[in-house]
Amino acid sequence: MKFKSQQISYYFFATSMLLLTLQLVYGLIMAFAHLGYDVLHDIIPFNVARATHNNLLLVWLLSGFMGATYYIIPEEVNRELVSLPLAIIQYVSLVIVAVTAVIGFHFNWWEGRKFLEIPRTLDYLVVINVLLFLAIVGLTILKAKKRTTTSLILYFGLFSTALLYLPGMIDTTNQTVDSFWRWWVVHLWVEGVWELILGSLLAFLLIKLTGVDREIIEKWLYIIIGLTFLSGVLGTGHHYYWIGAPDYWLFIGGFFSALEPLAFLGITIYVIYVFKKRVIEHPNKIAMIWTLGCSIMAFFGAGILGFIHTLPSINIYTHGTLITAMHGHMSFWGAYAMVVFSIIAYSIPLMTENKSIYTNKLSLYSFFASNIGMFGMVMSFAFAGVIQVYLERIIDLDFFLVREELKLFFGSLIFFAIIFISGVLSFIYTFIKSGLPKTIKFNKQ
Amino acid sequence: MLSKSDSLKIFILVTLTAAIIFLFLSYDTLKKIPDQTKEENITASVIRGKNIWESNNCMGCHTLFGEGAYYAPELTKVYLRRSEDFIRIFLKDPIAMYPGKRKMIKYNFSDGEIDDIIAYLKWCGEVDLNGFPIEPFLKVHPTIISENINTTSHKKPEIFDKLCLTCHTLKGVGNRIEGAPILDNIGQIRDKDYLEAWLKDPMAIKKNSLMPKFPLSEVTIKELADFLAAQK
Repeated sequence: MKFKSQQISYYFFATSMLLLTLQLVYGLIMAFAHLGYDVLHDIIPFNVARATHNNLLLVWLLSGFMGATYYIIPEEVNRELVSLPLAIIQYVSLVIVAVTAVIGFHFNWWEGRKFLEIPRTLDYLVVINVLLFLAIVGLTILKAKKRTTTSLILYFGLFSTALLYLPGMIDTTNQTVDSFWRWWVVHLWVEGVWELILGSLLAFLLIKLTGVDREIIEKWLYIIIGLTFLSGVLGTGHHYYWIGAPDYWLFIGGFFSALEPLAFLGITIYVIYVFKKRVIEHPNKIAMIWTLGCSIMAFFGAGILGFIHTLPSINIYTHGTLITAMHGHMSFWGAYAMVVFSIIAYSIPLMTENKSIYTNKLSLYSFFASNIGMFGMVMSFAFAGVIQVYLERIIDLDFFLVREELKLFFGSLIFFAIIFISGVLSFIYTFIKSGLPKTIKFNKQ
Repeated sequence: MLSKSDSLKIFILVTLTAAIIFLFLSYDTLKKIPDQTKEENITASVIRGKNIWESNNCMGCHTLFGEGAYYAPELTKVYLRRSEDFIRIFLKDPIAMYPGKRKMIKYNFSDGEIDDIIAYLKWCGEVDLNGFPIEPFLKVHPTIISENINTTSHKKPEIFDKLCLTCHTLKGVGNRIEGAPILDNIGQIRDKDYLEAWLKDPMAIKKNSLMPKFPLSEVTIKELADFLAAQK
């Protein structure tokens, strides 16, 4: 760790892991409910579990991105963050808002729109928190003597993420308009500006782990984010097929969203290519494995599993079924969760001066168990989804009859989820084993 | 081979072009939506219904326009599929409707709130969704051997399809849940008086009946009893 203020990342990462663990508990609650064991219905009905599961996901990923940014920016622009105390305040306020939101769900306090479940009051607090974050990072970049492409793209991605949160706060009386604006947040985040964050985090990791020339890596970063916006901006239309918007979106959304896998394929090729051309053998093999894995799973989950149900002629059958859950799980895991794990695997050993993350015997297990588990979960959703489409949509069998038939796949979902969870917990174990960040040796910068 | 600054220029060009086209299409879409969604039909009741829907996070279990969670049924066309009466009865006590099956929270909505929810769901069902949800093209429609389900003296009450057939079946049509008798020959087992008494309050006749007491009018009960007694 070169700069004292980088150590704040540790706390963001630790929070991410804690929230992730809680997210998995709520995931299990939902899976058991599907299986017929809705035992917690009186205190945690399904919609509470769902909102909690989704929002914990978003908060832990954002916390991971913030932690990654606080680690990367000082190193990229070669100076301390403008204010460590302010960063600490930002961290604490993020945690408070997240905890309040989750508790609030259990008391029926929400805005009730998918992924935007948090009540309007908390939206404002999120905006303030994010503005503070952007100010700290932005001023750090501004005051630095040099900037890098990687740091600027990362900042641009984060800044755009913040701006794109605002459409979700537009009040509407027309459900179609409501959905229209909601997708400006959800789609343009995960299939748009978050890919800038993903790309720049991978660029940083590749620069550090392979020693390949920054200029080559950053040139490819521009190409990848170019592909992202080429496909993803108009690809937003694939959420406008069936909500009451004009039917030209079927052609436009279908055509451009079918191109979205290209950005992810670009990432896979670029990461593998740069890895092959590496000029150093970095001791932290685990960070490299997570990075490579991320580039592959992101393409599989976001690219392939997204593609197979994006064309309107297929989507009209699968829209609003477990097929969506199939895609959602693999893409969030592959594209965003895994890059946060990669950054954690890379930076924690440096911050704690402890090699547990890559030398512990559970390190490799955590990578394979989590990925195999997630693959099994996603296949369970896939089978359940296809059968649901046929029985519910095409043959129009009774709802409860269909759900009985799907129980087998929720059973297999839980089986693979347990493997997945064992992988995640093993990773967290190696994180804990690394100890706390070493700060004693720092002199005043 | 592309230089880094060329790549940057391509990125900027692509992004600006995509953004401009998207903004233009968005503007056009927002202008066309009022027509396609019959926005003039959005009454104050519909707006209240939407607020109830959101403040209770119904989307957290159900889907509407295919958006939401996959735990409870798709509700876009529920007003047409189930009828207003059914929805009203259902919202008063969801668990009584499907005992032992998936649980829905009993929200204790007032009659006014139920009116609003129904108005909202009715409006949603009338939006032009470009063909969603699809017609179930492999749905099996049973051939009815006996033509006279409706005779002049025993007309099938409208509510029969929308309410009774959610748990019972008659001549192969309906959704049978466990414990709900098939009604094909019910007229041979029970007479009209019994059926009337039953429909007035099932649990008064059979203590552990799974069938709830529905708020049906006297007229409807008589019509249903007539109709069922004729099923022989």
